[in-house]
Amino acid sequence: MSVDLRVNLGSLSLKNPVMPASGCFGFGREYSEYYSLSALGAVVVKATTLHPRLGNPTPRVSEVTSGMLNAIGLANPGLENVLSEELPWLARQDVPIIVNVAGDTMDDYCQVVDRICQSGLAHAIELNVSCPNVQLGGLAFGVEAAVLRNLVEAVRTVCTLPLFVKLSPNVTRIQDLAIAAASGGADGLSLINTLIGMKIDLNTRRPVLANRTGGLSGRAIKPVAVRMVHDVAKEVRLPIIGMGGIYTGHDAAEFVMAGAWAVEVGTANFTDPYACPRIIEELRSFMEAEGIKNIEEIRGSAL
Amino acid sequence: MLVQGNRRLTSDIWVLDLVGEFPYDKVTPGQFVHVLIGDGTAHPLRRPISIASCDPVGKTLSLVYRVVGDGTKWMRERRPGETIDVLGPLGHGFPAPQRPGPVLIVGGGVGVPPLYQLAKVLHAQNVELDIVLGFKDHGDVFWADEFGKLGHVTICTEDGSVGRPGFVTEALGDDRDWATLYSCGPRSMLKALKTHFQGTDIQGYVSLEERMACGIGACWGCTCENADQSEARRICKDGPVFSWEEIQL
Ligand SMILES: Cc1cc2nc3c(=O)[nH]c(=O)nc-3n(C[C@H](O)[C@H](O)[C@H](O)COP(=O)(O)OP(=O)(O)OC[C@H]3O[C@@H](n4cnc5c(N)ncnc54)[C@H](O)[C@@H]3O)c2cc1C
Ligand SMILES: Cc1cc2nc3c(=O)[nH]c(=O)nc-3n(C[C@H](O)[C@H](O)[C@H](O)COP(=O)(O)O)c2cc1C
Ligand code: FES
Repeated sequence: MSVDLRVNLGSLSLKNPVMPASGCFGFGREYSEYYSLSALGAVVVKATTLHPRLGNPTPRVSEVTSGMLNAIGLANPGLENVLSEELPWLARQDVPIIVNVAGDTMDDYCQVVDRICQSGLAHAIELNVSCPNVQLGGLAFGVEAAVLRNLVEAVRTVCTLPLFVKLSPNVTRIQDLAIAAASGGADGLSLINTLIGMKIDLNTRRPVLANRTGGLSGRAIKPVAVRMVHDVAKEVRLPIIGMGGIYTGHDAAEFVMAGAWAVEVGTANFTDPYACPRIIEELRSFMEAEGIKNIEEIRGSAL
Repeated sequence: MLVQGNRRLTSDIWVLDLVGEFPYDKVTPGQFVHVLIGDGTAHPLRRPISIASCDPVGKTLSLVYRVVGDGTKWMRERRPGETIDVLGPLGHGFPAPQRPGPVLIVGGGVGVPPLYQLAKVLHAQNVELDIVLGFKDHGDVFWADEFGKLGHVTICTEDGSVGRPGFVTEALGDDRDWATLYSCGPRSMLKALKTHFQGTDIQGYVSLEERMACGIGACWGCTCENADQSEARRICKDGPVFSWEEIQL
């Protein structure tokens, strides 16, 4: 039996529903030494900001049981470099590009989104309103419905590409933020970003991360992420990109059953550099074994 | 790769010998491998361990590691016949000497292992080597004889229980005539070396450590700052070896 892995997220057509998550794949160059990026549904690049950022002091990653904490602090080479060096290279790899955008102010977000859309190098925007690490920006936009709606409305006026809003799990009711993003004009939602956590070193009796707290990701967060995708899918009729602890084709299928249209894979890339192409093949085998011809057949089955 | 042997060298330092396919011809001294712990379920992050020795003909790779936590404890339990998933070789190692003249190699603790592969390669090129190795105490010393076959070795221990007492910089004395310095060990040692050689035209290369996630340059977890602190460098990809002028020690 042949299965069809293609999926349309509104006007964004992907050959399969699996893509690396923002911040876990740089701008694609490093993993392209392991496999051809054209195997992927899309590539979601590292958060891009108006100006270059060095990020937080180190240590900024730490392992925890079945997961990790990170406090990278949105380190990235800045918009100009992303436009002149990174995206032109990635655009030659025959894979759709989703640019993850972060900022300190509404104006920052709008400027970056505007320039990315005008460059003609990207296929969609993913608005990072949930990064828990940077004291100034991130957090504030993604945790209050009214603030989020304002931001999405402002970005919408300059955004000519499909606009995905990436939701933070560090809120009381994620559905409320999903509704706010939808009413602000989002074309889709991605979730979840990392959960704020902490690890303490018993020898120094101090937090391991220099930033003290960091975002928890990996297998440890999967049940929380599946629940949140489910809760959002029940209330909002927009395409959803689900993520959080996906390591296998079965994990990806679980997110689809919870209501996701596509998935992103983050931390798994660090454990297994071939995680994304492996998950695509595992998802294909699962569908073959289960007699599922098209991913839509199982989408939201658990709702 | 297949585990061929796993032996204790000191109370807490072990050497793991691996055999099998590996891109041996790509290895430069100072590079590392990223070791998968178990099947990665409990421990999603691989552990960076330097290539201590590598033999393309015999197809073997040796890792010398100090047992400090869960990952290295798991490594200690591996037995011959088992397989281990290692990713590599990763990063940029020690460049060849840019100038003719004697070479100084300084290692501290588990910074010593990558310098063994380096010393082997330089010795094979007939480079004159002075090797200074610093350890905590006599029980901590390993591979002194192996290094002795490759150059002139000075051992230092913090408590003076073997070799010269004190830190490696004290063992160097007033001699400053080396053309090139290669070093790996604690940051404090690397800094002390840089201060010691201030004002000479010795070319220094240092290998740095940081907590890593991807190990290949994609996550920006392991950065340090360049000399004027204007840009970040990834220790896993741009390093772990840097010219000491390039970075902020
Ligand atoms: C490029 C490089 C080369 C290295 N080469 C060697 C070597 O040849 N021999 C050796 O004994 N050690 C080496 N280290 C240090 C080694 O990586 C750590 O001792 C090891 O990761 C500890 O793992 P663990 O699970 O036993 O300890 P835990 O403390 O339980 O580890 C928890 C987490 O912290 C990380 N971590 C802890 N200590 C360090 C450290 N010093 N450096 C980087 N990450 C750390 C671990 O990788 C893991 O993700 C090297 C480190 C780097 C960056
Ligand atoms: C090291 C690291 C860096 C990240 N950087 C970003 C980022 O720049 N922008 C963003 O929106 N999310 C970022 N994330 C969050 C991931 O994209 C993803 O939402 C999260 O890790 C959950 O997925 P996972 O469990 O598969 O890793 C980062 C995660 C990690 C581990
Ligand atoms: S560990 Fe990911 S960039 Fe170095």
